[in-house]
Amino acid sequence: MLRLHVLALTALLCACSKQKEEAPPSGAQPPAAGKTEKKALPVGLVIDVGGRGDHSFNDAALRGLELWAAGKRYEGGKYVDATPDEVRQSLPPHLSSDAASLKALAIQPIVLQSKAQEDYVPNLQLLVDQGARLTVGNGYMLANAVRTSAQENPKAQFLLIDSQVLDAQGKAMKLPNVRTVLFKEQEGSFLVGALAGLVTKTNKVGFVGGIEVPLIQRFEVGYRAGVKTTNAQASQALMSVYTGSFNNMAAGKQVAQDLIAKGADVLFHAAGADGIGVIQAVKEARAAGKSVYAIGVDSDQSHVAPDAILTSMMKYSDLAVYQAAKDLVDGTFSAGEQVLGLKENGVGMAEVRVDFPGKAEALQKVEALRQRIISGTIQVPAVPADLATFQAAAP
Amino acid sequence: MLDVLHSLLFSTLDAAPALIFAALGAVLSERAGVIAVGMEGMMRVGAFCAAVAALTMPTPLAVVMGMLAGAALAGVHGFLSIRWRSDQVVSGIALNLVALAGGTFLLESLYGPNGTPPIQQLTRWHIPGLGSVPVLGALSGHSAPTYLALLLPFAFQGLLTRTPLGLRLRAVGDKPQAVATLGLSVPGLRWGAVLGSGLLAGLGGAVLSTAVLDRFEQHTPAGLGFMALAAMVFGRWTPVGAFLAAAFFAFGNALRIGLVSSAPGLVELIPQGVLLALPYLLTLVVLTLQGQRSSAPAALGTPYEQESR
Repeated sequence: MLRLHVLALTALLCACSKQKEEAPPSGAQPPAAGKTEKKALPVGLVIDVGGRGDHSFNDAALRGLELWAAGKRYEGGKYVDATPDEVRQSLPPHLSSDAASLKALAIQPIVLQSKAQEDYVPNLQLLVDQGARLTVGNGYMLANAVRTSAQENPKAQFLLIDSQVLDAQGKAMKLPNVRTVLFKEQEGSFLVGALAGLVTKTNKVGFVGGIEVPLIQRFEVGYRAGVKTTNAQASQALMSVYTGSFNNMAAGKQVAQDLIAKGADVLFHAAGADGIGVIQAVKEARAAGKSVYAIGVDSDQSHVAPDAILTSMMKYSDLAVYQAAKDLVDGTFSAGEQVLGLKENGVGMAEVRVDFPGKAEALQKVEALRQRIISGTIQVPAVPADLATFQAAAP
Repeated sequence: MLDVLHSLLFSTLDAAPALIFAALGAVLSERAGVIAVGMEGMMRVGAFCAAVAALTMPTPLAVVMGMLAGAALAGVHGFLSIRWRSDQVVSGIALNLVALAGGTFLLESLYGPNGTPPIQQLTRWHIPGLGSVPVLGALSGHSAPTYLALLLPFAFQGLLTRTPLGLRLRAVGDKPQAVATLGLSVPGLRWGAVLGSGLLAGLGGAVLSTAVLDRFEQHTPAGLGFMALAAMVFGRWTPVGAFLAAAFFAFGNALRIGLVSSAPGLVELIPQGVLLALPYLLTLVVLTLQGQRSSAPAALGTPYEQESR
């Protein structure tokens, strides 16, 4: 019965978007020059159980598909056309210069949220049945579901973010109709770790992870390597705790309170919605007179608590989704594996909006490290085993 | 060392209230013979309504609104399970599903998916002089629900075991026919208990969005309602037992966090996942040891029909 409900809702959603599509788009730019396709291509997106509004990973994919690719904003349960200003404001600094190249495409987004892991396969299938030309699975949790759907629907095309296609034994495999995008989270985490090492006054920093999986470990390992590079003492005292969930902000808050009580003054989280609790704990500690910062993840989380967020480790999955949609419209979509790091602008560090003593100098050091990662002189470790042997020369 | 104890105690006291209230609500409903699977949904509704109400009114009043919202959802449960004698588990699960999807729908259509705007949090009470005492200082600096959560279980236990009303509530869960022969209204008592459990669950939810966080976050309460049921069973359907179980869960979690952050070497020996599962593992062990001596109310889950014998 629930499934029927979802179906009805989706049908309704499509009907709404179609109606809008027929009217000439006011804010969005017309699709690529030359002959224009009248009909918008449906592009589906299944987000993981983290849901819409996580200020983080899912919101990034939604931004790429809805705001950038379709030029629309999701408001009150339906799509409205986004103004060019809104699009411009959402762009990361390294893209805002060539905002013109980020044209709205003639696509029609269909987004399905997953309430439980069992929803992934039916949701993907639903989108394929709805005629989605490209279906995006956002998150490693969808890896198995995307494999199943891609094998069952060899004619449909898929984009899988954050994971390779894995066979039943968990080994990486290739499918002719799936593009996968992986990120070198360790490189972005390295930068925020380096900054944390420079900013901490107590020489104690913390890491709050969600579920302890290789993906989240990459954040931790990169962060540890960054702290080690700029502050050996803080690296010794680094505290790392996993909450065991991605949707329980109370757990995130409890962990953060503990770390703050033990003297940590910079906390980096890679814990989805649990991270909202981490930021809340930092906010409350600041209100109580402690000088503590949180570092956000995946999206620029500064708006959640402007004073409390030092910076955010950015993962531009929005761009990867946009690129795939653009390739689809251009007819150049191809399967394969992409791995995006600092060099490819796949990850990065958000603008530092708070002020602290020695800010300019610290940012300079971090920038120098960034250049050295891009040039390849620093190889950031990705797995805990490589961390012990990692030795970066002082900045 | 004292520092560690202090932060353990503080963290437990900060995190436990929502769970304690929900567990007490579950005890109230089930002692009167109505299964309380819907706690999760009632908490969610309470959390949502409290956060929305707090946008326009003082936060303490908003908490009351959250409680009333929880009771309203409990009213639906009561209507289905008492008036229409439907299956209480099915009714509870249906309410959970409605609250889960309805909460998300309302949130997105009213405020967008990013949660409600921030609200004024409940004020934290700093007890003069206590804050600087080692360990005991952790009792200071919490908001009102924490202190209520420490007192209410004992008051509730007193009510249940030492007053005529308590006797009737227990009787209506064990042998409703006996209550009816005394000329008392079985549906009336059950209605009271179900609505009361809704108030408590709503309070638990409201605590999450007004004391733990300063807005409604769309995953709230993230399974806490089901943990409350576990605490109720673990506490053998008594208020103080449920309170101790809920406090134990919160303490177990705080202990795990504290161990991992203070003794990182431990994590290399025992994976964090094992530590995460530890409180629940202990629950299973206790339940196993309890064995046959179940303390569930005898008429739990059985709709009352006057004509039945």
